Amino acid sequence: MSTVIETVGLSRHYGSGDTLVKALDAVDLRIEAGEFTAIVGPSGSGKSTLLQLIGGLDHPSEGEVHLAGQPISSYSGRQLSDFRRDHIGFIFQAYNLIPVLSAAENCEYIMLLQGIKADERQRRVATMLQQVGLAGREDRRPSQLSGGQQQRVAVARAMVSQPDIILADEPTANLDSQTGMDLLDMMVELNQRDGMTFVFSTHDPKIMERARRLVYLRDGVVEREERRD
Amino acid sequence: MLMFKLALRNILRSRRRTLLTLLSLGGGYLLTALQLSVTEGSYDQMLSTYTRDTTGHVQITAEGYVETPRLYDSLSLNDADLSELEAQPNVVAVTPRIESSALAYGETKSFPVDVVGIDPQREAGLSFLADKLRAGTYLTDQPDTDGYFAAMIGAQVARQLSVGVGDELVLVSQGADGSLANDLYRVSAIVGTIDSAESRRVVLPLRAAQQFYAMPGKVHRLIVLGRDYRRAPQLAEQLDGWAGQHWDDTDVGATSWQVVAADFYRTMEADKSGGQVTMVILIFLVCVGVLNTILMSVMERTGEFGVLKAIGTSPGRLFRLIMLEAGLLAILACLLALILVLPINAWFTWVGLEIEPIEFSGVLFTRYAGQMSFYVFAQPALLIVVATLIAALWPAWRAARLVPVEAMRRL
Repeated sequence: MSTVIETVGLSRHYGSGDTLVKALDAVDLRIEAGEFTAIVGPSGSGKSTLLQLIGGLDHPSEGEVHLAGQPISSYSGRQLSDFRRDHIGFIFQAYNLIPVLSAAENCEYIMLLQGIKADERQRRVATMLQQVGLAGREDRRPSQLSGGQQQRVAVARAMVSQPDIILADEPTANLDSQTGMDLLDMMVELNQRDGMTFVFSTHDPKIMERARRLVYLRDGVVEREERRD
Repeated sequence: MLMFKLALRNILRSRRRTLLTLLSLGGGYLLTALQLSVTEGSYDQMLSTYTRDTTGHVQITAEGYVETPRLYDSLSLNDADLSELEAQPNVVAVTPRIESSALAYGETKSFPVDVVGIDPQREAGLSFLADKLRAGTYLTDQPDTDGYFAAMIGAQVARQLSVGVGDELVLVSQGADGSLANDLYRVSAIVGTIDSAESRRVVLPLRAAQQFYAMPGKVHRLIVLGRDYRRAPQLAEQLDGWAGQHWDDTDVGATSWQVVAADFYRTMEADKSGGQVTMVILIFLVCVGVLNTILMSVMERTGEFGVLKAIGTSPGRLFRLIMLEAGLLAILACLLALILVLPINAWFTWVGLEIEPIEFSGVLFTRYAGQMSFYVFAQPALLIVVATLIAALWPAWRAARLVPVEAMRRL
């Protein structure tokens, strides 16, 4: 398997001197293509910070994030935008859909940024929304969808641009347990069928059970790893 | 198209704020468009009247006469010349004039006067002279039964010399040939008021003036009226070529009214610029309010912008999105306000606002008139849109520079 993302000595510190907080401290992590990885740990362990740094949403205090062997820390704002657009799919805990766009338009938007032609965009959106079980709800705005449906749109949005990796920050935290499990089943299916690489953070034991690789974080440090093949 | 949709829906999501912004921008547009309309309409009325009554749109004279009028710098003229000039494209009317000065005598007093020799019929068809008679009758170009030519005099001349309609008037001056010029005329009319431009003037029939100044078949100025006073420089250029060929034995040229009355023209332009400053201040005030609205809207959506950046929207695209929203808001405001401005401006243009009569160049203005033109509607719209875009620059720049992870904490 090829390496999609690799972090080398990745650290994120806040404050300085006596008030220095090490949200993440020298994390070395390698994510291979097609993995379904859960970053687990209690609140404040640095899960979200790690995903944010991997996704280029924040700059590390020390260390590097490599995408296909290229370090992204030196990227300019524009280069980071392009990196996120072309290589990363994000699923957020609070869905974070664009409220004024419909489900289909939310998915289409990212492809518009990629410069994909309209007919191809529409074809991909229709396929993706069908895969996540939202056929017939394409024109609904986020406010007209349930939490679970909104998160499905977020999954579709993350996948439709065909990124190298999907980063999901506690994707089921705002959903009831059944909806959360359904969403997880869908992500597992997409991973197994399409070989899509998923890295998600969670502290829900039920969700951890479904992951094939578990990375345990505590106080910003990788405590241990577990693989389930 | 999706970006346009996104911008439009963003504008419409906070309806109350959008409505207030539209009212502010639309109100600004309405006021500036109406102010411009009335300003342009009034200037148009004034300049149209002034040029028609005083300078014409273009003057054909001997070279140097416009800058330094001298009795001797004249040009030969016959009926065929006039007909040919009238047949030139864009020429509506033509009239010849002789202009000089003289000492006028009444029964007991004398007074220095400006003498103008005119073709009575042509002059009446071009200027408003015939409309300004306070007493008496308009000039004829034939002498009366006693052999006297008629003269129309200004109000000041009448007062200073204590002469009225029917009285005799003696003029003394120097002829173009160096001889002593003197003749007797019968006052046929009093023209204008004490304050009007004709106040110190004696107006003679052209033939009488030519005889008086020993200038047979000659005139000083050919006053040309074109289709539009604004296009006088183009007409002057056209007629300059024609005049140069037509009077090949004399240096003759055509000059637009903007050059003939350069001081007046500059004053008018300066006055107009003053009006524009008022308009810019008004728009600035409107846009300060708009800046506040756009800034609030950007701050409220900081978290959302963070998400947009997180999923790959470049800083430049986010900047353009906010500028597009601001531009759309301004265009929408102008279009909505235009629906109101059109009928109000139409009323100003074709009915107008009654005012206390003001005399200008001997002509009474009784209403403020507007102007229906593309310029009147387009210029304020352009200013509003540009000013709104300028007001949006800072909020847009601020949004474009957001760090996604920090911005998303605002969600």
